[in-house]
Amino acid sequence: MAQDAPAAPAPTRTAVATSAEQRRAYIQFDLLIIPLIVLLFMGIFSFHFALLVGDWDYWVDWRDRRWWPLVTPLALSVLPGVFGYLLWDRLRLPVAGTLTILCLTFASWVSRYLNFHLFADFPMNMVWPSTYIALGLIFDCILLLSRSFFVTGLFGGFLFGLLVYPLNWPLLAPFQVPVELHGTMLTVADLLGYEYVRTAIPEYVRKIEQSTLRTFGEAVTPLTAVFAGFLNILNTWFWMWIGYLGAKSVWLRKIT
Amino acid sequence: MSATNIATVEAPPKAPWIQLALALFVIGSVFAIYRVYQHSTAFTLGLDYFSEDFQTYWMTLLYAQLPILTLLGAGIVGRLWFTRERYPAQVSAREELRRHYVVLSQILVFAIVAYLTASIFTEADAAWHQVTVRDTDFTPTHIGLFYLGIPCFIMAGIVAFTYAHTRLPKFIERVSLPFALVVAGPIMIMPNLGLNEWGHTFFYAEELFAAPIHWGFVLLGWATFAAGGLVVQLLTRIVELTRVMDKPAG
Repeated sequence: MAQDAPAAPAPTRTAVATSAEQRRAYIQFDLLIIPLIVLLFMGIFSFHFALLVGDWDYWVDWRDRRWWPLVTPLALSVLPGVFGYLLWDRLRLPVAGTLTILCLTFASWVSRYLNFHLFADFPMNMVWPSTYIALGLIFDCILLLSRSFFVTGLFGGFLFGLLVYPLNWPLLAPFQVPVELHGTMLTVADLLGYEYVRTAIPEYVRKIEQSTLRTFGEAVTPLTAVFAGFLNILNTWFWMWIGYLGAKSVWLRKIT
Repeated sequence: MSATNIATVEAPPKAPWIQLALALFVIGSVFAIYRVYQHSTAFTLGLDYFSEDFQTYWMTLLYAQLPILTLLGAGIVGRLWFTRERYPAQVSAREELRRHYVVLSQILVFAIVAYLTASIFTEADAAWHQVTVRDTDFTPTHIGLFYLGIPCFIMAGIVAFTYAHTRLPKFIERVSLPFALVVAGPIMIMPNLGLNEWGHTFFYAEELFAAPIHWGFVLLGWATFAAGGLVVQLLTRIVELTRVMDKPAG
């Protein structure tokens, strides 16, 4: 049977005798908890992002105008939402967006270099991770200024969707330059993809630029960004609610 | 009555820094050596399951590490259980604070294994699958990820969970649901691995990493979102234990 923890009773005993001892205890807890949180964020976010966005972030030739800007913000706002609730509601720290995304970025660079470049021999300019740090900063600033999860979800969630593509455009643009190969026009990113054969993801599973997308001209990117933004408002609110549930101190009575 | 029941630590307790550093050194060394071994032999001796080299260099490793990890985990958890606190009401405040340091150190070890496993070893598997076609479930990256990393992840979680529920007075009398969820996630990855491998041999030979066949792993990873509740439970008690009685803190 589950029950919410009762309000903390007044302590009848303590483990510290002076304020100096108390400060030393807090420093020790900080030294344990801060690396714990950072490492946990690196592990969880990396795992979550790899299995939901994965190839759209692994490969430069997967960053298209339809799926990448849609899938990415939906997966990216999960940890800022969940841990944003915890860190703001319980500790008044508006840092979850920046911290979680920084952890993801660091873990991604380590992994791309060690695994995709050194281990599997892909060139780094084919497997570099996208940049999302600015989204975390915006999310945290909105939370700090508004002090409202509703407003943060509304504007922060929307901007997550809206800005993924423009934030990465300076990095991505050189790979979108058209080249001609054997009489066919393709992008530099496509060419990289054809040159470095990935046997387990043949061309028919590369989910980019599908359907009538190419006939839409330049309107596709802002269309996707705005759609992703609207969808991500609901997504961010949902994950903040999950953060509210996750931060509950629930105890189960022992059966025996 | 065990020694811990009557122990009253006079000096302010300290986190177990030496033991923690030792644990980090051992874990870091094991994973680093494993990684170097994987780097040097996966693409040379680990491509053909039916080759003699594969059996020698990879399957032998699998057959060795599984019983070692099982025995190690069972031994540590068994020891924690049999030396459990039987008189939680008699634990002094300082001893209880020291035990909170130990639990947080164990959760830090859990977090380190989580990072190594869920990021570096998981994406080594992602990179591996892009350039090879599997002929076995026991690929060199799977042997490192699912039969070393995940078991270590599970072991670190169960050890911390068992320590807390056999040593901390507030945890002895009841079960922390957030802690149980955080530990259950990694445990359930193993059954989900069965589904994943079955699916890859049946209907999905490709290795699109964001494919629905992998979403079960994501769901189990989300179990760690309950860590917030665990932090609240631990910090609430730590704040109680570190109040200065003669004048208000801060």
